[in-house]
Amino acid sequence: MSAETVRTIIDDLGALLLFTMILILAAGQIYRAIYAVAAQSLLIAIAAAVLATATGNTDLWVIAGITLTVKTIVLPWVLHRVVRRMNVRREVEPVIPVAATLALAVMVVVMSFHLSATLGPVNQAITGNALPVGIALTLLGVLVMATGKTALNQMVGLFASENGIFFTAMAVTQGMPLIIEIGVILDVILAVLVMAIMVLRVRSTVDADIAGLDRLKG
Amino acid sequence: MTGERSLGLLLFEMTFLVLLGPLVTGIIQKIKARIQCRQGAGVLQPYRDLAKLFRKGTVQADTASGLFRLIPVLVLAATVAAGALIPVVRAGPPSFPLGDALLLLGLLALARFLTAVGALDAGGAFGGMGASREMTLAPLVEPVLMMVVFSTAVAAGTTELGALAAQRGTSWVLAWHAADFLGFAAMLVLLPAETGRIPVDNPDTHLELTMLHEGMLLEHSGPGLGCMLLASHTRQIVTLGLVSALFFPIGPANGADAAGLLLGVGAFAAKILVLASYLALVESSYAKLRLFRVPQFLGIGFVCALTALALRIL
Repeated sequence: MSAETVRTIIDDLGALLLFTMILILAAGQIYRAIYAVAAQSLLIAIAAAVLATATGNTDLWVIAGITLTVKTIVLPWVLHRVVRRMNVRREVEPVIPVAATLALAVMVVVMSFHLSATLGPVNQAITGNALPVGIALTLLGVLVMATGKTALNQMVGLFASENGIFFTAMAVTQGMPLIIEIGVILDVILAVLVMAIMVLRVRSTVDADIAGLDRLKG
Repeated sequence: MTGERSLGLLLFEMTFLVLLGPLVTGIIQKIKARIQCRQGAGVLQPYRDLAKLFRKGTVQADTASGLFRLIPVLVLAATVAAGALIPVVRAGPPSFPLGDALLLLGLLALARFLTAVGALDAGGAFGGMGASREMTLAPLVEPVLMMVVFSTAVAAGTTELGALAAQRGTSWVLAWHAADFLGFAAMLVLLPAETGRIPVDNPDTHLELTMLHEGMLLEHSGPGLGCMLLASHTRQIVTLGLVSALFFPIGPANGADAAGLLLGVGAFAAKILVLASYLALVESSYAKLRLFRVPQFLGIGFVCALTALALRIL
């Protein structure tokens, strides 16, 4: 594949990643957010595979495989299980109205494009729009975490945010050392597993609504 | 690559759109019926409905003014005029100054406004409610449509739809820019709203809680109602045509002869059919949204369109 083709494909995948992120932000039900985040991880895996064929970096194939199995299949399945086990309201109840979240999202996207446009020389070394898209994904993931009331929402946000970091790192460096990437993935797996267990355990005593935690002051 | 489109061709395209409009509705209803395991009415049912309505007499509310009689004709005229701006059989600018995508959206907005005025004029409660709802949603849909048009027009350097389609050439999805994906996603969100379908509006019901567009038609009868229905069929196919002109401008390049014309018509029909099945699928698999949830749904389209613009410009 020529560099131009790879650049176009990464750009297109970036646009689709942003689309899935918008779906996560606007999701009315937690199931939809989980599906969207799984689709996002699938796109990340495709991006890794594309970069792997383009650069001939075999580490990236491993990354693509791990992303596909762990982040596209296993983690969404765990989240699904948690939702089913908890058997609670599936409606997402954001702290601020969804319309306001979407407006914030627009600002974040425009800002990250503006930011990376001012970077200039760094921009030269980077595959197309990967840097602004990655920054936007990361920040929007944080936005999901900030506006979600339940622990599940926060998990989805963390997940999406990590996808953004991953995409940026992959596209900017054309493949980081394998050990770092695996470390990052392991971190997320552990975080999600720990949070899943926490939510299940906490659920048995109190409601898993983190909005109530502000009363827990020492 | 493609020559200019002559007046004769434009008139042919316009007539074609108007004649084909009810068929698209019929096909969507047939697909919906099949998905619901029903036999369903034939695809020609909308034509039969129209023929029936045009044979009937008119009953009018006592409170309605003279304008009320004119409304259906004006709405139909505005919608059909919008249809003239859609390139159907082949790309290329018209051979004389005609108008661009902005005029098209303006004409559709005019039709929407006239429909609402007519509903208010008749003085019925449902008409007023339908009009107020439609006017609440219109400002959420129209600017986003404009942004989608702009996001593709920026790349082509023109807002004239025929020239825009010619500029994009016979490109297929592989040649899409990243912004096109987001623009198309925004369009997919907007399509049910613009064509008055679930999850935004429900075209099959006359239940006062759910209707938007239907509520405004309640006071019309006979040929007037026929005109309004024909206008909404045309509006639907015009919107689908706009999508295919913006995102799938494939058609024969040099189709001046009969074979090229046929091929162009075939390609257009295929594109419309795909989009119509998308609408039918969405309609079958989603419930209608609560009115206050609709802005949230349309917000997805808004953010997508804005991001598409950002990708294009920044």
